[in-house]
Amino acid sequence: MSLKKKILSGLLAVSLIGTTILTGCSTKDANSGNTAKASENDNYPKKAMEFIAPGGAGGGWDLTIRTVSKVLQDTKLSPVPTPVTNRPGGGGSVNLAYMQEKKGSDNIISVYSSPLLLTNLNGTTELSYKDTTPLARLIADYAVFVVRSDSKYKTINDVIDALKKDPKSVKIGGASSVGSMDHIQFLMIAKAAGITNLKDIDYISFQEGVNSQLLGGHIDVLSTGLSEVTGLIESGDMRALAQTADHRVGTGVLAEIPTCKEQGIDGTFVNWRGLFGPPEMPEYAVKFWAETIDKMVQTPEWKKACERNGWDNAYQKADEFTVFLEEVNKGYEEILSEIGMLKK
Amino acid sequence: MDVLAYLLKGFSVALQPINLMWVTLGGILGTIVGMLPGLGPATGVAVLLPMTFTMGPEAALITMCGVYYGAMFGGSRSSILINTPGDGAALAATFDGYPMAQQGRAESALAMSAIASFIGGILSTIVMVFVAQPVAKFALKFGPAEYFMLMVFALSATASMTKGNLTKGFISMLIGLMISTVGIDAQSGISRFTFGILELQTGIDFLVVIIAVYALGEVFKSFKMIKEGKKKMQTKFGKIWITKEEWKRSKWPILRSAPLGFFIGALPGAGGTMASLMAYNNEKQLSKHPEEFGKGAIEGLAAPESANNAASVGALIPMLTLGVPGSGTTAVMMGALLMLGLQPGPMLFQQHPKLAWGLIASMFVGNMILAIVNIPLAGLLVRVLAIPPKILYPIVLGLAFVGTYAISNSVIDFYLLVIFGVMGYFMSKAKIPTAPLILAIIVGNSMEQSFRQAITISDGDYSIFFGSKVSIVLLILTIVSVVYPFVKERIKGKKNIVSAN
Repeated sequence: MSLKKKILSGLLAVSLIGTTILTGCSTKDANSGNTAKASENDNYPKKAMEFIAPGGAGGGWDLTIRTVSKVLQDTKLSPVPTPVTNRPGGGGSVNLAYMQEKKGSDNIISVYSSPLLLTNLNGTTELSYKDTTPLARLIADYAVFVVRSDSKYKTINDVIDALKKDPKSVKIGGASSVGSMDHIQFLMIAKAAGITNLKDIDYISFQEGVNSQLLGGHIDVLSTGLSEVTGLIESGDMRALAQTADHRVGTGVLAEIPTCKEQGIDGTFVNWRGLFGPPEMPEYAVKFWAETIDKMVQTPEWKKACERNGWDNAYQKADEFTVFLEEVNKGYEEILSEIGMLKK
Repeated sequence: MDVLAYLLKGFSVALQPINLMWVTLGGILGTIVGMLPGLGPATGVAVLLPMTFTMGPEAALITMCGVYYGAMFGGSRSSILINTPGDGAALAATFDGYPMAQQGRAESALAMSAIASFIGGILSTIVMVFVAQPVAKFALKFGPAEYFMLMVFALSATASMTKGNLTKGFISMLIGLMISTVGIDAQSGISRFTFGILELQTGIDFLVVIIAVYALGEVFKSFKMIKEGKKKMQTKFGKIWITKEEWKRSKWPILRSAPLGFFIGALPGAGGTMASLMAYNNEKQLSKHPEEFGKGAIEGLAAPESANNAASVGALIPMLTLGVPGSGTTAVMMGALLMLGLQPGPMLFQQHPKLAWGLIASMFVGNMILAIVNIPLAGLLVRVLAIPPKILYPIVLGLAFVGTYAISNSVIDFYLLVIFGVMGYFMSKAKIPTAPLILAIIVGNSMEQSFRQAITISDGDYSIFFGSKVSIVLLILTIVSVVYPFVKERIKGKKNIVSAN
């Protein structure tokens, strides 16, 4: 196995050197129509890619990257195998550290979402999205705020009003820890609604079984993702107060949930998910995967997978994605500094 | 009755030859995965995940359940034979299972474990058919305050079960609680005792400590004996079955532990480890000869085995009825269901009755097949004891390291493995029991979190811990569990005095 690997990487090295000699330094005119000239692109990728889920099996990251891997294989868009490995720990920061070790590598791709920014801002890790190579934004899902069906809160504004009167009167629950996604998404909407003392709002983190805590009446409002509670909204056990997209997403009961904007709160929250390479990923690899992903998001296989998982297509190319990341990062930074959790 | 008609329909799904094949395959695979230290049911199901995309939803779910139960059956095999639990839920099987194996009664132990698991699984499936909905509703009453009281009860019961050694039991528990504080604190988002090591931010995995304390601890302990070739090995093997006497002693413990395990399993997050340890404590308290516990009492093996299988059935309840996963394994299964386009939750039974009832029917079938597969398999596995210790123990060591790496692909865990292995060795030298340590690591973090969640909800008012019937009952049970051993001793003492007079 290791011998095979050695031979393969040896071949790759030889072919890379070969192409560099052939093309010289004229990578700029590689696209100028001279197809006979072998560019790096023709030889890449040669060996299996390492697709990484920075969290455990069965989670959101895992689901996303496994779906990407499967679609790439089913559509034969990837010429090489794309096996998925899990590198959980530290809210994704263990894998982020691993990617630094693989600086300049052309064969690892990892999935990330909002926590990539949050873990850096709240001090979990010193590494940030700047220590990666953003490849593309793929999908988005949105937050939803739900209550028990017999709750006295009928709209998101009922909750906001109660919080304005007494910030301790409404207990907000979520699955992620304090200062992480479920907490921040609620605060962003609360801030947009004009609440100033964000720090005083009680947010309670339940690593396990947060849905039953709401159903049992132990918390008042649950801040969660749309796909997490679809079944319970359909059955009528939970009532959704608002979703955080700028337009109504989903079908059936989900499409009936009003957005925050419709209810007069000028705020949105997007939980985006995208693909990232290691820092200083070589240009030919970035180019190859950018093109491949561009093709992939247009396939019926991908569209079907998105529909099945309730994902909103939010495809963005690398440069737009990088700008987007900067903006979002700023927004999170403000919220975290207001609740005193910003580490700098 | 309506339920029976549905169930019959379910059997027509579960008994289709293809599904029968899947549940058998899943069960065998699960048994193997379960035996390996570090690889539990969650890993087994996760590995299967990509495969299930191509199956139909029914076959996929049935296969995953097969793996799940298989791992529950398999987990205790290594507990009994080499004192290394495959998973937290198999921990209690080391207490009496391993002593039995050392006394040359491995055959009975393996047979009893399969029989108790089978009965526990079947009984709780029957219970589930009829009371899934009310149990799920009742479980909702468990808020943070109730969870906290439940964990206090479980811990105090486990710590005080070491008779006459209350202090040592509590020392062990406190070490466990300290270990459980490592990692990011969810209520404040602050890292505690991580020393800048990223891998420690998610905390120390209890499986690492289990493997260290039990597998490594065992190797360290018998090192001298192994080296001098004094460690016994078994060369003659009897039939894998139990005697009438053994059945008589275990009958009631098995029957009592099944509903207990079922209910604990149905509470999201509580799980098999807690269920099996509570069943063990229970039986020890009720037993007429508690002094035999820990020295190869067969009912001490039967009770937890029945409870942990019952718990694995119970854990499916919150997932199927509420769409809330009850354990790590069911969380993975729920992910798979979502990927198959199914929404677990209250509507599952109405929208996909064929699937839901097919699954329940497959629990009956699966448990039966596993019992049938496991008895002959045990005949093969028991031969492990015929391997000379000089060869067996290095293999155990190797497996311990591989299993540890499999938990989270982290090298840091190797260091932890060695550190806790040494700790386990000294604990056994000092005769400090290790079960309270493990349970404390498993529940410690959620116990602390529950406490603080409750306090935030009540705005700092401590009366929330006595605010519901459930928590008052749990409080009384806690007090009884600590005081009862003393009272029992007193009564015994008095009787002795009387009879002496």
